[in-house]
Amino acid sequence: MRNAKPEIRIIFIIILLLFFAFLFIPLIVLFLRSFMMEDGGIGLSNYIASLTNDALIHAIGNSFKVSGVTAIITTTLAFALAYAVNCTKIYQPLKGAVKIGILIPMLIPTITYGFAIMYTFGNQGLLTKLFGRNLFEIYGFNGLLIGYVIYTLPAAFLLIHNSFKYIDKKFIIVSKLMGDRTLRSFWNTVTRPLLGALGGAFVLSFILSFTDFGIPASLGGTYDVVATQLYQAMLGSIPDFSEGAVIAVLMLFPAVIGIFLLNYLERFNFHYDKFSETEITSSKFRDSFYGVISAIILLGMLSIFAVMFITPFVTAFPYDLSFTWEHIAGVFQSNDLVSVYKNSLIVAVLTAVLGTVIAYGSALLNARTKVKGRQTVDVFSMITNTVPGMVLGLSYLLLFNGSSLKGTFLIIVLCNIMHYFTTPYLMAKNALTKMNPGWETSGELLGDSWVKTVYRVILPNSISTVLEMFSYYFMNAMVTISGVIFLVSAQTTVVASKINELQHFAQFNEIFVLSVLIFLTNLLVRSVCEVLQKKVEIYKK
Amino acid sequence: MLLELQNISKQFDQKVVLENINLTINSGEIVSLLGPSGSGKTTLLNIILGLTKIEQGKVIFNDEDVSHVAMKNRGFNIVFQDYALFPHLNAYENIVYGLRNKKEGASAEDVREYIDFLELKPHLKKRIGELSGGQKQRVALARTLVTKPKLLLLDEPLSALDGVIKESIKERIKSIAKEFNLTTIIVTHDPEEALTISDKILIINQGNISQFGTPFEIINQPKNDFVKEFILRQLQIKRQNIFHLFGEKYA
Repeated sequence: MRNAKPEIRIIFIIILLLFFAFLFIPLIVLFLRSFMMEDGGIGLSNYIASLTNDALIHAIGNSFKVSGVTAIITTTLAFALAYAVNCTKIYQPLKGAVKIGILIPMLIPTITYGFAIMYTFGNQGLLTKLFGRNLFEIYGFNGLLIGYVIYTLPAAFLLIHNSFKYIDKKFIIVSKLMGDRTLRSFWNTVTRPLLGALGGAFVLSFILSFTDFGIPASLGGTYDVVATQLYQAMLGSIPDFSEGAVIAVLMLFPAVIGIFLLNYLERFNFHYDKFSETEITSSKFRDSFYGVISAIILLGMLSIFAVMFITPFVTAFPYDLSFTWEHIAGVFQSNDLVSVYKNSLIVAVLTAVLGTVIAYGSALLNARTKVKGRQTVDVFSMITNTVPGMVLGLSYLLLFNGSSLKGTFLIIVLCNIMHYFTTPYLMAKNALTKMNPGWETSGELLGDSWVKTVYRVILPNSISTVLEMFSYYFMNAMVTISGVIFLVSAQTTVVASKINELQHFAQFNEIFVLSVLIFLTNLLVRSVCEVLQKKVEIYKK
Repeated sequence: MLLELQNISKQFDQKVVLENINLTINSGEIVSLLGPSGSGKTTLLNIILGLTKIEQGKVIFNDEDVSHVAMKNRGFNIVFQDYALFPHLNAYENIVYGLRNKKEGASAEDVREYIDFLELKPHLKKRIGELSGGQKQRVALARTLVTKPKLLLLDEPLSALDGVIKESIKERIKSIAKEFNLTTIIVTHDPEEALTISDKILIINQGNISQFGTPFEIINQPKNDFVKEFILRQLQIKRQNIFHLFGEKYA
């Protein structure tokens, strides 16, 4: 084996140090804090106090219930949509609309969903007016459920949709020719090969709902869940760090189990070695059924977000629907809100730039060098995948409370980088692994140093992935609230956390204007990245 | 100019891949390393290149022990089986990639000569994805030759090519070796390829040298059963098939 070159070692050491300082040590501190008693001793008393606290136990029960139901509904809907896109001959533009429309929630902070749902189903809501009565009580279980389903649908859809790509649709035809009946054919050629992905979608939706803060922050009402309990413990009238640490550990627990489950479910995935594009058979009944279903899901989702785009442009929704620029102008005239938006931009850009560099560097080490211990990067990526944003944020609060990092943009950026590390890392690793393994050797024989080959060959051939990583980090940094809620200060407030404050003053117009701003910013970044990606695509064979 | 391998052995995790390889290659010769997959031929190529380190034995080039000289400083170069061309650059940019780094490399005139010699002129502006297999092979050869290697290594240079192209590239490799007096080492698993392209063939089986000799020696004095069974037998079957096709009168 070749010895690692010095420049590779230096990069590796930097990455190791980053993960120790901003992932391992904060989590260890959090863990210790949860066992630390008031007199300074170590013991289980915090846990005992928390687990005998009826309110918390009740909230945990609520979290399990609402997340479980969410996961079932989301998985079903996501499967229906993915099936419609991949295995039916529904109207082509509808397929396109599903593939794009489903991603809209990813561009908006979850806390905004709550207010959109209020304006749709609430007492004065859009649909309530249309139907002439309240459809159901939105504060509590129902509202959370709708919010969580919208929130988790994109991720679940992408996961199942992706797996569909690796399924050989020829088997559907083979099964038909063998005389299988509809159900048996469906099971053997679609459901069974997708079992891993379906289980994965279930677990993923569950974890996302279980750990989200934005939706219960706006819609929870008196229906307590773990995330709101954690928030109250830390930022309520009497902050209780020990209780916070315990709740965070309790929140981490299902997430850890979930990740193990996800890895276990991997085994159920089918891997067809080779597959070819196959013509999908026609079926009138199937196509109209799935066409209608996907149209309903899509319209349902869009109708909820519609108010977000209507409200800011009318005088007083829903009483006075005359058009006005007043609210928009108001936000831009408010120094406070403009600076909050600027803060969000700063955080998102820094997160995207630094995060992409770190994730790309890590993937480079793991996929294209032989440096000893490079597998540790995979471990980092698994851990960052497990830790919920709120838990990570809280652990930073505990560790860096007394340090000069407190209240800076840097701490928010670092938290975001760690929180969202897994996906960009895997994107880069995937792309780098697929590249010709001879490039570094060729570069070296042609006189390049390793860094030079990376710059001249590896990087130009993975620009598309780098852009993808950048936009992923950017969009998530723009919308996250659970990761930053404990870390923002008066000077570093970002839009998502500002919305949480604004709701207490019932400034919903401002909330929607800010949300639209985030949405448009994300849309712009995403579009620019896509245009650039198309430009470099020509290098692909 | 000559390359000498002395007592080379290599193990990967206790598994012996090469055992006691001794070999001398003269200047300007084309030598094939021939053997079935897993025989150790690619490992031997990588050892000569400097990509794989050796714990035992010596690689001597022009009386200088280069066993512990880094790959980059040996002055050898290789064309990989899959060419490892850089897809974001066009054919010409690939060819001159190394020029920026090596001052003692080819001059502009040399580059033109290589391009003409390999008949690449019409393809210079093409992207790698637009080139055929044979064209890619020639671009990769040009990119390597531009660095003026003291030793040219080719890893399965013909296996990805078909039919007529294969024969023409074969001739091309022979003429490069002759024209530039370039010692060339080729890894292949195809006996016909090895025997028709090389001055000498090193037959490797399970990490050991089975026979080292000219094509004439191998055909007429096979040293052992392995050479007879796996190398000659294949050629005899091929010969029979071809005779059969054309009829005995062509024999």
